[in-house]
Amino acid sequence: MKTLSRRRGAASGTAAALALVAGLAACGSGSSSENTAASSGTPVQGGVISYAHVQEPPCIFGGWIQQAYVSRNVLDGLVAEADDGSVVPWLATSWTTSADGLSYTFTLKPGVKFTDGTSVDAAAVAWNFNFWENPPNANSGNSTAKVSLDPYYKDAKALDATHVKIDLTKPYGQFLRLITQGYFGIQSPTAFQKEGVKQNCEDPIGSGAFTVAQWKHGQEIVLKRNPNYTSWPANAKHKGPAYVDEVDYKFVPDDVSRYASLGTGQSQVVYEVPTSEWKDAQSKYQTIKYITPGHPPSFFIDTTDGPFADLKVRQAFAYGADRKGAVEAAFHGVIPYEGNPAVSQSTPGYNAQAAADYAYDPAKANALLDQAGWVKGADGIRTKDGKPLTIRIPYGSGVILPQEGAAALQILQQQWKQVGFNVQLIPLSQAELFAGKDSAPGTFDATPSYWTSPSPAILWIVYRPTTKANPNGNNESFFNSNQLSQVIQAANTEPDGAKADQLYQQAQQIVQDNAAGIGFYTQYSLYAVSKKLHDFWLEKSQGEPVFADAYYTK
Amino acid sequence: MTTITLPTVVRSPDWVRHLRARPTTVLASLVVVVALVAAFAPGVLTPHSPTTIHLQQTLRSPSWHHLFGTDEAGRDLFTRVVYGTRESLGIGVGATAIAMAIAIVFGFTAGLVGGIVDSLITRLLEVLFSFPALLLALLVVAVRGPSLETELIAVGVGSAPGYARMVRGQVLNVREAPYVEAASALGHRRRTVIRRHLFPNAFRPLVAVMTLGVGQSIVWASSLSFLGFGVPPPSPEWGALLDAGRDFITTSWWLEILPGLVIVLLAIAVTSLGRTLQHKLEGAAR
Repeated sequence: MKTLSRRRGAASGTAAALALVAGLAACGSGSSSENTAASSGTPVQGGVISYAHVQEPPCIFGGWIQQAYVSRNVLDGLVAEADDGSVVPWLATSWTTSADGLSYTFTLKPGVKFTDGTSVDAAAVAWNFNFWENPPNANSGNSTAKVSLDPYYKDAKALDATHVKIDLTKPYGQFLRLITQGYFGIQSPTAFQKEGVKQNCEDPIGSGAFTVAQWKHGQEIVLKRNPNYTSWPANAKHKGPAYVDEVDYKFVPDDVSRYASLGTGQSQVVYEVPTSEWKDAQSKYQTIKYITPGHPPSFFIDTTDGPFADLKVRQAFAYGADRKGAVEAAFHGVIPYEGNPAVSQSTPGYNAQAAADYAYDPAKANALLDQAGWVKGADGIRTKDGKPLTIRIPYGSGVILPQEGAAALQILQQQWKQVGFNVQLIPLSQAELFAGKDSAPGTFDATPSYWTSPSPAILWIVYRPTTKANPNGNNESFFNSNQLSQVIQAANTEPDGAKADQLYQQAQQIVQDNAAGIGFYTQYSLYAVSKKLHDFWLEKSQGEPVFADAYYTK
Repeated sequence: MTTITLPTVVRSPDWVRHLRARPTTVLASLVVVVALVAAFAPGVLTPHSPTTIHLQQTLRSPSWHHLFGTDEAGRDLFTRVVYGTRESLGIGVGATAIAMAIAIVFGFTAGLVGGIVDSLITRLLEVLFSFPALLLALLVVAVRGPSLETELIAVGVGSAPGYARMVRGQVLNVREAPYVEAASALGHRRRTVIRRHLFPNAFRPLVAVMTLGVGQSIVWASSLSFLGFGVPPPSPEWGALLDAGRDFITTSWWLEILPGLVIVLLAIAVTSLGRTLQHKLEGAAR
């Protein structure tokens, strides 16, 4: 289970958060912000939105972004992240922070009910925090919520019906931003206690704009409108319950069929438009391109075992292939290359300078490998002490990497061969990946993985050193650096935001200098939306789709 | 004395007559010969390398320079198809051989020993039969992880039950044949009867079935690769090419359609030869 949650977290890597949206709605009329399909006309009440998504989550509630994509529409959070990066009210109408930065007191919107009829009160919110931090068993909790709070969470107390106080052990500047993610949706403790784990997996009960009406496994999740919705976030596009009656999340893994479903009218919103179709989508539909913040899909490197235990070999690997060119070719110029392995360019506190390191330089790669004692053989592959320079790269095929990512890997494989690396690509299925195949030290050399997050505090999750007392399975590079650890902790607890960002940037530079990760591309969402549908938007923290404001016009 | 002159009958050479009689066989043979050349000497058919990338020439449509166009890494698709022949054909032949080996062991044992052994094997085959072959193959992949050998074994194991039942039926059939009875009556030892009469006669019809199986195995192996359970990249195995081309079916059709046509062409050619062989061998048994 440990392994599973770790991989899921990693996969979830997806999880990320602050976003930058590069793209935009090509819409006929009306205003549109970057993350929103345009508004126009008079909304009609009712209708069904068919949403063609890629991956079916194992549960609706959980710590993988694929879960937050659904749960965001069922569970409300305490706070939300606005497009300008500020944290705005949601279930909490306001909050205060103590002078020492150790306590947050939230005032809740009064009168809000879960869809089981019980109250969204301070006790319920406190229960949720304690549940994330101490889940009754590993299956019921939410790995991302837990690791995000873990470092500094102390406890949560209801002061009265509408006031809840969260105490921390140290100031944690990223706390509010972190809890804007969908993983922190508040669910009904009454419903959970009645039905247990099954409840929050199949049908979590929240106070959201929709409820889970049916989950036909392998096909779709049907969400029905909550007619009594009162708790929209401050950045919602309208006040009141959802316009549409129903949203159907249909799971269509095949890229071409998924995108084609928009053209045939079988769906109105499509996720992960193949990049080869992006131009076509821009010419025919409203489109939203969102670059996900957090740890991008970069290579974790086994720094403890095999050829990559040697820093020079890791650096040679980074110099040895035109990663930028490969990403541009494979993703058809739609998705940017990301040279910073630690956090993506849409993350606050991003170090752009570090991202420029290790630009393609085969001469340097060759020189480093020569210095490290790897000698080119007749077949062009280097060897040392009779051992070939073989690099095993397992990757979640279709799970972590889309088809374009897999194509980019093949391009890189050829370039790495030119400098003497024999790279073996090992595609893993979702089942193998979640089972932790090829993830232990010594079983792989490099593996691409992402973990979305709106905050550079993601660095602590993926690079916290493993200790005997507290192993860190999310540190997939097994890079245990005291120096890095201290810098990230100083950043997390630094009250001055600008100083904190400097420290986060320093941490990214340490990762880069040690080639403890190697940059690849950014996580992203590419949406195409029917021109008949308006005000469908992606929230900022990690691009979760929001259907509560979407409407059709006559 | 009158000399009667018989009109000279001009007879076409054998091969021409054959060509006229069975043009499909000739065409099929041609396809198979080209495939064999591609498998054993791919360099004869194309000067390029199947893995060399050209980021400046990505997704070019078919032309004289790139007969089948190029893929998203600028690799020449015709070259990839040619180099993929060895793996695809190898999987076809190898998997069929594995299937046959399993089938012969089970089929002959069941057919010859009879009794409870026959019942057990027959029941086992029926159980295996209730799984679609592709599902059996996926099970093997799940256990062993994807690789070329796994794909061979998976397709072989997946198709073995069908052959095993055929072998058993053939053995039962031949066992009761008058010439086998005659041989036994003449006092030949059991082992001699099996070796000289039973085995060759039971086996002969299977040669044709095997040939048919090669075409089928190529298609199955391609299905596995298409599903992402085949040989790992950057192998140009045909199913893997189909899988990679999927996303481009509306934008760069050649990546999906051309490898697909090649698979169909070879499968039809091999199957057609198998049928011809079947016809020839029918009645040859004694």
